[in-house]
Amino acid sequence: MQIDIRGLRKVYPGGVVALEGLDLTIPPGVFGLLGPNGSGKTTLMRILATLLEPSAGDAYIDGRDVRRNKAPIREMLGYMPQEFGFYPTLTAYETLDYFALLCRMNDPKQRRSRIRESLAQVNLEQLAERRVGTFSGGMKRRLGIAQALLNDPRVLIVDEPTSGLDPEERIRLRNLLAELAGGRIVILSTHIVSDVEITSERFAILHEGRLLFSGKLADLLARLEGRTWIIDIEEEELTRVREQFFVTGVFRSATGMQVRVIADAMTHPRGYSTSPTLDDGYVATMRQEAELSAVD
Amino acid sequence: MRWTDLRAAAVLVRREYQLACRGPAFWAVTVLGSLLAVWQASTPGTSAALAAYQTRQMVIVGIGALAILLAGSAASRDRRRRASELVLSKPGGSSSQLVAARFVGIWFSLLSMAAIILTASSLSQGVLAGTPSRPAVYLSALVLSVVPMGLAVALGFSLATLLTTPLASAAAAIYWVAVPLSRSHLAMVLDLTLSQHWFLAALLSAALIALAAGLYARPIRGEDRTSACLGWVSALLIAGTGTAAFAIVSQGHDALLKPNPVLSAIASQTCVQERRAPGFWLPDARGRLVGLNDLQGRPVLLAFWGPAASDSARALVVLSQLASEHAPDGLASVAVCLDRDAATVRLFSREVDGRVVMVWDRGRHFGDGLEWSDSPLAVAYQVTGVPTAFLLDCERRVVGQWQDEEVLDQLHGAVSRLLAEK
Repeated sequence: MQIDIRGLRKVYPGGVVALEGLDLTIPPGVFGLLGPNGSGKTTLMRILATLLEPSAGDAYIDGRDVRRNKAPIREMLGYMPQEFGFYPTLTAYETLDYFALLCRMNDPKQRRSRIRESLAQVNLEQLAERRVGTFSGGMKRRLGIAQALLNDPRVLIVDEPTSGLDPEERIRLRNLLAELAGGRIVILSTHIVSDVEITSERFAILHEGRLLFSGKLADLLARLEGRTWIIDIEEEELTRVREQFFVTGVFRSATGMQVRVIADAMTHPRGYSTSPTLDDGYVATMRQEAELSAVD
Repeated sequence: MRWTDLRAAAVLVRREYQLACRGPAFWAVTVLGSLLAVWQASTPGTSAALAAYQTRQMVIVGIGALAILLAGSAASRDRRRRASELVLSKPGGSSSQLVAARFVGIWFSLLSMAAIILTASSLSQGVLAGTPSRPAVYLSALVLSVVPMGLAVALGFSLATLLTTPLASAAAAIYWVAVPLSRSHLAMVLDLTLSQHWFLAALLSAALIALAAGLYARPIRGEDRTSACLGWVSALLIAGTGTAAFAIVSQGHDALLKPNPVLSAIASQTCVQERRAPGFWLPDARGRLVGLNDLQGRPVLLAFWGPAASDSARALVVLSQLASEHAPDGLASVAVCLDRDAATVRLFSREVDGRVVMVWDRGRHFGDGLEWSDSPLAVAYQVTGVPTAFLLDCERRVVGQWQDEEVLDQLHGAVSRLLAEK
């Protein structure tokens, strides 16, 4: 099973282009969608979740067109949007029961067992009888994942699942998504690079509706192999180093200051080679795009 | 449909019912309505039928308006709670079944509210006022609220879905309250809360819900045959409702729309003491026509009353006692109910338990409000207020006239004298 996206374009009323001729293939496993706010990640996810019609191009999930096969696609899909809410007066169990009924799980035994399983997967069993109105942001996000898991989906789409969560909740949610990947496609959109680095086998970088990169982390890092450096600097040197090199990160250490740079050759006396990270790859890709745009 | 599917549909309705009942607004209105009903029912001299009538009017007008607002709010609830995408991404999230479940859930929740308020009224009758509470009267008042409540919910839900704003249902709620208060031409003709217009109300409710379901199911239209059919179903139902409404109005007895020679003849009669009293031909609680000629050869006690004037409804108790006391001596008692709603006659007929023949004069469709001035018979008898009672002898001559509740007590002596002369 895979998702095929061919020449996908979405123009909102008013002429805002959210997606511009996107071509992408998503295989099973966790697939990260990385990009700044407004890059088209949410638009892509809403089209795949059959909630939005594309202006042009095609998207197929397991060979089914998202335009013409909305009902069967919804049967095999779990979706957690970026912004969502629940009915505060229902308990967690009642909420999931409501959504399970909307998933057409009419058999009460099957419904009960799926609700219990979903609550266990997101570690909310103890709070099943508590009203959702009293839940914290992290609990609501977990309940959001639980409702997406109710129909045991073959495609799970989660939009910015870790935004607004405390570090502990973020780690827990990342681990959960990695666990869920077995045998299904999990599409995770985020603007937090480390979320993708830890959970995703493959990922794509979007910028202003265009695809800048798609592939494995190793493919992106191979482009930077031998070109990533760390330089120990004095604080006053920072401006000069910025002018001389392409800086991807600035850190403070016990001995002073360190900058990560990308360069074909190191001319600084206190510079030494280091392994590239996704942060380096992401910043380099975005920079490359900005330079290309400037040339255009 | 299999048994499990039906059970699942019932659970979905239950969840929608819980969503409607658990809000603070629901309980605030229930408590307020119950207190008002208790206050009305515990007023000295208020009979069970009058208390049930007043509570039902409050339920239909007040809770009906609330039903429109609640249904409008439920239609936009997903958007307000930011749950739209969660719901729509589910296979049944844009189905017509969900709309039906929401409609039934809200409808049942409002009927529960009406049941609580009517129970409070019934209990206060027994406990505070010390009069028999007569649960059957309250039950019939609850049954009489079922269709108007359904119409209110359908109206609020479909308007908010159609115009994608709860403000549409707020406008409908204002119209709903304006209808009983307004005495305008349009409001009187289109008052679908009247029990004789129930089939119209039910047709319109079904049409509105079918329309809302068809619109709501738009995201997957073309794939769901049921949803595709709903547009046609709603169009047919709306056309049927319109035709039936036109038929009712055009065949009505309103002088402005269609002059009625019988009613004109009644109105042209004049009540003069010692001369023969004007005759009539009006339906009773079961719809059977009753005329003054049916009572030939018997002295008749004829009383005009209307539930809008609560004093006149209280006078029914005095009339009923008088009727039962003198019925063995040949006295026939007739109460003419001046009200627009056929159900009012049925509700109050239980009160007089067949001792008094209750007939219904709904008057003209519109005018200066449906009071005695709109009833041709009341005009013929020159009634200027209710309650008014006339005593007719065996020759149908008017031998006495009494007005106001207190003076009705004097009737006892006059009736005894007339019967002695006979």
